[in-house]
Amino acid sequence: MPYHTFKCSECIPAREMHAVIKGPGEDLSSCLPLGYLNTIPGTISERGCAYCGAKHVIGSPMKDVIHMSHGPVGCTYDTWHTKRYISDNDNFQLKYTFATDMKEKHVVFGAEKMLKQNIIDSFKAFPHIKRMTIYQTCASALIGDDIAAVAKKVMEEIPDVDIFVCNAPGFGGPSQSGGHHKINIAWIDQKVGTYEPEIKSKYVINYVGDYNIQGDAEIMVDFFKRMGIQVLSTFTGNCTYDDLRGMHRAHLNVLECARSSEYICNELRKRYGIPRLDIDGFGFEPLSASLMKVAMFFGLEKEAQAIIDEETARWRPELNWYAKRLKGKKICLWPGGSKLWHWAHVIEEEMGVKVVSVYSKFGHQGDFEKGVARCSEGALAIDDPNELEGLEAMEMLQPDCVLTGVRPGEVSKKMRIPYLNIHAYDNGPYKGFEGWVRLARDIYNAIYSPIHQLSGLDISKDEIPTDKGFMTRQMISDVNIVDDGNIPAEERPYTGDWDIVTRLRGKKYPKLESQQLGTA
Amino acid sequence: MDDVMKDRIEQLVDFIMKWCLWQFHSRSWDRERQNEGILTKTIQLLCDEPVDLSTPSDKCYWVDAVYLANGLKKTCPWLNTMDKKDLKILMQGLKERIDYLTINGSLNQELTNPLY
Repeated sequence: MPYHTFKCSECIPAREMHAVIKGPGEDLSSCLPLGYLNTIPGTISERGCAYCGAKHVIGSPMKDVIHMSHGPVGCTYDTWHTKRYISDNDNFQLKYTFATDMKEKHVVFGAEKMLKQNIIDSFKAFPHIKRMTIYQTCASALIGDDIAAVAKKVMEEIPDVDIFVCNAPGFGGPSQSGGHHKINIAWIDQKVGTYEPEIKSKYVINYVGDYNIQGDAEIMVDFFKRMGIQVLSTFTGNCTYDDLRGMHRAHLNVLECARSSEYICNELRKRYGIPRLDIDGFGFEPLSASLMKVAMFFGLEKEAQAIIDEETARWRPELNWYAKRLKGKKICLWPGGSKLWHWAHVIEEEMGVKVVSVYSKFGHQGDFEKGVARCSEGALAIDDPNELEGLEAMEMLQPDCVLTGVRPGEVSKKMRIPYLNIHAYDNGPYKGFEGWVRLARDIYNAIYSPIHQLSGLDISKDEIPTDKGFMTRQMISDVNIVDDGNIPAEERPYTGDWDIVTRLRGKKYPKLESQQLGTA
Repeated sequence: MDDVMKDRIEQLVDFIMKWCLWQFHSRSWDRERQNEGILTKTIQLLCDEPVDLSTPSDKCYWVDAVYLANGLKKTCPWLNTMDKKDLKILMQGLKERIDYLTINGSLNQELTNPLY
């Protein structure tokens, strides 16, 4: 077994089986790290908690909802605003965060009365909002407050409101993934099937496991609508509470992030017979294949091909411009869960960068199976790394860029390795054909930023050159690019707009609208 | 199984592992059903046999099977030259190998969890 032991973790033998290097001839029967196990004491894990996984990752992107944490105010504050899951209703869910602000006295005497008052006050403060989610925290779970009973009482007293209760306290699982699981099951148990959606098309899907980070879900929904497909719900980015109650009426569940939301797809298949189709929404080839698969399910191949042809013709040359300049660069792909396998191979295939490591803080062995299967030989796969292991990996692998979240990203910056925020994104969306070019552009900008010419110098002792100016990105990146006159004019740096999402809102979809009129 | 057959199966496995996701559902029983459903239909497509599309789940398997059959033919052009009998033997070998890598020989400890 090709386990890798970090020097910094030699004193923690239990870490031994949490990292592997994919050697020649290795396959999944011999090369897989452990995953989704209780955090090993002493490793200083950087994982999120189950409450965060439920509330911050999955619940909060719902856009017309008061998201209330029943617990100390820090729980809600620390899960607010750090992920850019935008919405088309002026970002209500991002603007506000709600907490019951539990204190010691509530721990002693109970907090149900205070919870009820908070619910009522919140609905009064935002009279246009009629939906609420309430998240249990460690504190309210340990004192045993019956949140569901309080919610039921409020719903009886104020009949036009609806409340969902998620009992996923911070300690309810090894990592945030425990919260993903709990909220999936709680949602289908409590809410799916309690609302009848309006069916407007012969082709109806749920788009599951996309949280609309900087508009990702809106980009994908645009493709589906252009084909004439009704997207009944997006679980949960930019989606309304009631649309998610109507998930049971879809013909197909199109699943993107299996890590966070395969549970609800599995249950929808079991309880309602809706099949689950796993797709890759990133990268030209996987996205094209994914759109075609969804189209084939409904017999809309011509519609899908038209979109694929149009988008590829427009954006492929610009992707090629970046791919030529990124070829051979080494990256560490250290995202949350699903991007480690969504991107592991296609970023190499289409951008030319080499993935030298994949990791996940909360991924399961299933995620590592996909990641290890897709990445190249020599890649280091790490489960739940701590900061020291991350540092050691960067020293060993010498990546040109680290694709990760803010916390490990800032660490890599201190090692003078640029990083890209692929949790909340830098300049997303990154989904869709144009989005993939935006990702290439952001990686290019990170790697070739002129700042690296100065950032490595120590002004207290190094000579600072004053006789020459900065080299621009392109002066550095184009050293080995040969223009033989055959490069098409369309092969150029990204020419899209700064905001590519807002214009999709209110867009007309003739193929969808014609069905509503009965003319299809 | 001779070396040529083994090598060919590994080429097919490589395509599936890199470009497909259906083989990685979270539980053993899911993986058994997925592997059976999709690879059976893929064999039928490659051998020009009729494919059952009577249920939504059949259709969903078929969608993945069409992608797989086309992808395999493109990346492994020697498939197009095989006769149907040999093709079926090869694909049966592929099914056994995928079952081994994703189920019987898998190191994933969550596969036997009785719940989703």
